[in-house]
Amino acid sequence: MRNKKGFEFSFNWMFALIVGTVIIFLAIYGTTQLIKQERRTSDSEAGKQLGIILNPLETGIESGKISKISFPLETKVFNRCLNEGFSLGERAFGIQEISVATKSGVGVEWESPGAASNFYNKYIFSSDVIEGKEMIVFSKPFLMPYKAADVIYLISKEENYCFVNSPSDIENELRKLRPENINISADLKECKKGSIRVCFDSSLCEINVNLEAKSVKKYGKRIYYEDDKENALLYGAIFADTDIYECQIIRLMKRTSELASLYAAKSISLGSKGCNSNLEQDLAYYSNVTGTLNKSNELSNIMMLSDEIWRKNDALSCKIF
Amino acid sequence: MMLYHVKSFNKKGQLKIQEMAFVLVAILVFFAIVALFYISVRVQNLKGSVEELRDDEAKTMVRKLAESPEFSLSVENCINCVDFDKVLMLKEKAEYQSFYPLDYLAIKVMGALKKGECARSNYPECESLTLIKKKEDFGTPIGAFVALCRQEFFGQDRYIKCELGKIYASGENIRK
Repeated sequence: MRNKKGFEFSFNWMFALIVGTVIIFLAIYGTTQLIKQERRTSDSEAGKQLGIILNPLETGIESGKISKISFPLETKVFNRCLNEGFSLGERAFGIQEISVATKSGVGVEWESPGAASNFYNKYIFSSDVIEGKEMIVFSKPFLMPYKAADVIYLISKEENYCFVNSPSDIENELRKLRPENINISADLKECKKGSIRVCFDSSLCEINVNLEAKSVKKYGKRIYYEDDKENALLYGAIFADTDIYECQIIRLMKRTSELASLYAAKSISLGSKGCNSNLEQDLAYYSNVTGTLNKSNELSNIMMLSDEIWRKNDALSCKIF
Repeated sequence: MMLYHVKSFNKKGQLKIQEMAFVLVAILVFFAIVALFYISVRVQNLKGSVEELRDDEAKTMVRKLAESPEFSLSVENCINCVDFDKVLMLKEKAEYQSFYPLDYLAIKVMGALKKGECARSNYPECESLTLIKKKEDFGTPIGAFVALCRQEFFGQDRYIKCELGKIYASGENIRK
């Protein structure tokens, strides 16, 4: 007689196995989702913190301070620039979005970045994704003709730049700042292997600056800058992606426009007290022109107006800015 | 007799299934309660860290505000000097209401002889200038001392007069 008990698989066992599998599956799924969420939360916090630590780096009276930002893990910083928006503030100033993603040894190496932090008063010139554990950051004031903002340059420490035959003012400034990943050389051959070469007198590099035309050609695209007193736009054109550069120029001009109308209002207010500057019309026109800039190649017209306003203001005994 | 035995076996099996179902429901309820507890604690922590970040932002901002183009006295090379004439105009610009991530931003003239909110009509004989006030309960604002400077006229002569002032700022809270 055969013993049938050896093959008995009761309903209880079957039920326990199925339910057990479901519970284990749910637990694993839940834990994975939780880890993902925690990663996203900490990435979102890191994005906001990055924005906050960039505040003290902005310039006061002195300019061009260099700092290093270290992350605990390999990090990707996503720089997104929007020159339009829905609210009044967004339309008037555009938006600087920063989001962060950190590399993880568990699960997917790079998750999508955390929630983006929005800033209206920041202008970061960089590539759209900056990757590394350490980042070099420095800022410069943007003056056209008055100080309109502080612009921030963010570069990964792993990215090496080689400036070939740079003008003396840039060379002196870089020697003073001593950024770890920017080398100055007189010849292309002296540049480190793998570095991004920036040429000022030829078009043999990855980034070619034409000082006569005030333009920068990088990876086939040409962008334009103007000689603001601090070379803020030239550095921006070198370090930023062309799309980001064009967007930040529009945002900077929008802020310049708002400030022009603010100075025009101040001029009218002081005029009634006996401090006539007669700059109101110039400033109102300047506000209109800067507020409607679309591309960097329109900067030369704005520069002429800016110089004109600067000269008029400088000649005043009762200065507006 | 046989029929009776089958009936008793079915009842026993049904009872066991019912028991297991109850245990399962209890386990699910337990896990749901644990999950709810975890979520509520996590949300509270998250709210706390968001508030902390916004406070940090307000702190760093209030320290740098006097040097921002909208506030700084650009006529002179002066650290921490606020151009009061310019800031008075800033109050009238609606675009700047959302420019700073703050719920409250105001400037107070320390030791002002006359009380009241600054406007074109009573300026400079006033005590405070509120630039942003998005809500009434903005918490405890963070303050920083500055020099409040303005153009003054004495007959044909002009000079810049500076007084002690304080900027107050409070970070944006989470909207409910």
